[in-house]
Amino acid sequence: MNKGVLGVGVVVTAPLLALLLLNIGRNPSAIASPLIDKPAPNVRLKNLEGGGSLQVSSLRGKPVVVNFWATWCIPCIQEHAALTQAARANPDVAFLGVVYEDSTENARGFLAQRGSAYNSYADDEGKAAIAFGVYGVPETFFINRGGTIIEKYVGPLDDDLLRERLAAVRK
Amino acid sequence: MSASIGRSLVLLSLLFASAGAVAAFAAFLKKRADLTTLAIRAAYGFAGFMILANLWMVQALLRNDFSISYVAQVGSIDLPVWVKVVSLWSSLEGSILFWGGVLALYVAVATRSLTEAHGWARPAAIGVWLACATFFGFLIAGPAQPFGTMVDVPADGPGPNPLLQNHLLMAIHPPFLYGGYVGMTIPFGLALAALMTGRLSPTLLGTIRTSLLAPWSFLTAAVVLGGWWAYEVLGWGGYWAWDPVENASLLPWLTATAALHSAILTERRGVLKGWTMSMVIASFLLTILGTFMTRSGIFNSVHSFTQSAIGPTILVFLGFATLASVLLLGFRVDLLQPDGELERGASRDTAFLAQNMLFVLFTFTVLIGTVFPLIVEATRNVQMSVGRPYFDRMTVPIGALLLFVMGVGPALPWGASTSAELKRRLLPPLGLASGFLVLALGVGIRSPWTLITLFLAGYAAHVTLFEAFRPARTRLKIRNDGFVKAFSQDLFGPGLRRLSAYVAHAGAVTAFIAIAVSSTGSKSVERTLAEGETMTFGRYTLTLEGIENLEEPHRTSLIARIGVKKGDTVLEPLRPMMNQYRSQRESIGTPAVRTGLIEDLYLSTMNIDTNSRTVGLLVMINPLVSWLWIATVIMTAGGLLALFSSKRAGRVVEPARDLQAEVAR
Repeated sequence: MNKGVLGVGVVVTAPLLALLLLNIGRNPSAIASPLIDKPAPNVRLKNLEGGGSLQVSSLRGKPVVVNFWATWCIPCIQEHAALTQAARANPDVAFLGVVYEDSTENARGFLAQRGSAYNSYADDEGKAAIAFGVYGVPETFFINRGGTIIEKYVGPLDDDLLRERLAAVRK
Repeated sequence: MSASIGRSLVLLSLLFASAGAVAAFAAFLKKRADLTTLAIRAAYGFAGFMILANLWMVQALLRNDFSISYVAQVGSIDLPVWVKVVSLWSSLEGSILFWGGVLALYVAVATRSLTEAHGWARPAAIGVWLACATFFGFLIAGPAQPFGTMVDVPADGPGPNPLLQNHLLMAIHPPFLYGGYVGMTIPFGLALAALMTGRLSPTLLGTIRTSLLAPWSFLTAAVVLGGWWAYEVLGWGGYWAWDPVENASLLPWLTATAALHSAILTERRGVLKGWTMSMVIASFLLTILGTFMTRSGIFNSVHSFTQSAIGPTILVFLGFATLASVLLLGFRVDLLQPDGELERGASRDTAFLAQNMLFVLFTFTVLIGTVFPLIVEATRNVQMSVGRPYFDRMTVPIGALLLFVMGVGPALPWGASTSAELKRRLLPPLGLASGFLVLALGVGIRSPWTLITLFLAGYAAHVTLFEAFRPARTRLKIRNDGFVKAFSQDLFGPGLRRLSAYVAHAGAVTAFIAIAVSSTGSKSVERTLAEGETMTFGRYTLTLEGIENLEEPHRTSLIARIGVKKGDTVLEPLRPMMNQYRSQRESIGTPAVRTGLIEDLYLSTMNIDTNSRTVGLLVMINPLVSWLWIATVIMTAGGLLALFSSKRAGRVVEPARDLQAEVAR
């Protein structure tokens, strides 16, 4: 037996294998946002239909889900049904959609065709997207009653993912 | 029905692999030749059924047989035939079936190449190969089953990932990569067999070397083909981004290159046997690590497949293979006693040793940079990425040192030499080195690392050419043969092996030059052009002649037609475009490249606005990039020539020599 060779072999390979084992299930697209545990940006969003607008801070006191989406984004189409269903099942949570880099007409047509259970808003000059640090769609922010962002999720949501997150955002 | 035939073929191959592995190990342990024969038959059985399973999938893809789950997942009726065939490896499950197919070919050829002369290493190696085959058979039959039965048979499928259809290179790159990755199983099995038998005979060493050359050649081509694809398709103007998966393909190449060189010392001097075996084993383990990195979904990369049970299964295999390797090395390496010793001081031996150290250092540098984000995330819960600066800062000096060794090493004599001899050998190449340096300064290169690299490349180029033609020159001088005759003797005679090494070196020197100049000498500008507007960059005059629209079933493309003039010469217009694929959320640009021997003109669109009729254009002039592709062809040719030469030598000389050794024992 050559203890040196055995020792070097173990020292080189064991930590590497342990590291890979620890990282099984890691999701590289779950990108930590510097906005986590910070107050949600207080932006003003324009209604898609008619005039009027919404100030995000006016929703304080309720858990809020902000979903950035676009009609040209396939994952957004995938998650649309899950979001609609979750909004219907959880009337105590305020859901709102923000249309990202898309025209108001496209968005209106999309919602007319696929149905919706909550309002979506236009984002003038992408100010809301910049304030929230959105770099692609879909991205969804979960804000608690105190107006603090507790999670940012990148990519399409499904029923299970939403259920877990809604439970967390209600606390 | 169709799906169950596929499943049966996979199960039969799994049965043969596992039974064969048991028979082979039993043959080795009990020293029973009849079991060896059984194991050999089982190896062919595994290979046959696995190849049939692959062919069955290909015919299902061609026939649009959507009752098979994999075909329903990646197939589509309207696809061209070549896309249907390459769909075999375009998605996760199929790619693992294809892995099995390539492994089957390798195992069949390798089993055939083993003879009585390999002694008990023969069943031991077959046992290791079939153990690996058992794992992949299990993976295909279980977590990665491509032959699932569709209950509701769809009328049509979605077709493969659009990026795969974007460029023919994506059809070629994976088979080369698999040829490299999978092929490392063969030398791995032979190295473990050497440790198990406790003896590394010249025959076995020769077979290990030959079996390394095939995957090495494939991997050389694959690493650069990946870069070429990135350059032609991704549109950021470069060919290497230190992406985790690019690194994964580079790592086994580095250790395999080290192994090929240390094997020469082992062959000549009878030393470093354990070290050479370690490098061979590491090359295999790194291919499995690379496979895990692409299949587990824990790294973000253009190459990643999605998360599934396949990742953890591969990790378990990697764990077992590593454990077996470390234990075998630890307990058995002392049996591989050296038969000689290394020459100290300024000799070729020392150069080989330095080369190996540098390659191992290179491997660790890339490995640490690749997994570092995982370490940081696990310990500090902060996300980070290790970017280009780390890799560039670390690998450029190592690369320069390697180039230095590649220049000085072959100039040094085997064994001790006098200082007069050293001067005679080491001083003349300084001429070409200085020539390269002066030329570089003349064309305006000022980056210190590029100048250093070119100086060293000049040195290595002189040595490489001098050494490559040395035997031919000697013959010319002594025998007054014509040049063709003198030279062809190397090409068709025993000199081929020596020549092939210098061909590979010539390719490597060329690659060093191309990488150094293209990575520091490229110029770029970003401009927004309105229709009809003209810009100049370098010697090029570019005009946006128009914006075209192209509707295809799977994508919509906007094409910017750019008129190109170089000086006063009007060239073919270039057409960079933006593609919106139906299944992607971001639009993907396809750059247009005018390839030249001196420089490439590279146009990539950042955006195309059809309302204002403007195009945001990235214009790059990339010097010498095409020489990297040429260099790769030369290096791969070197590898294949070496493979050819050792096949020839192995057939005639080595078994006989080793039989004598066996008799003498």
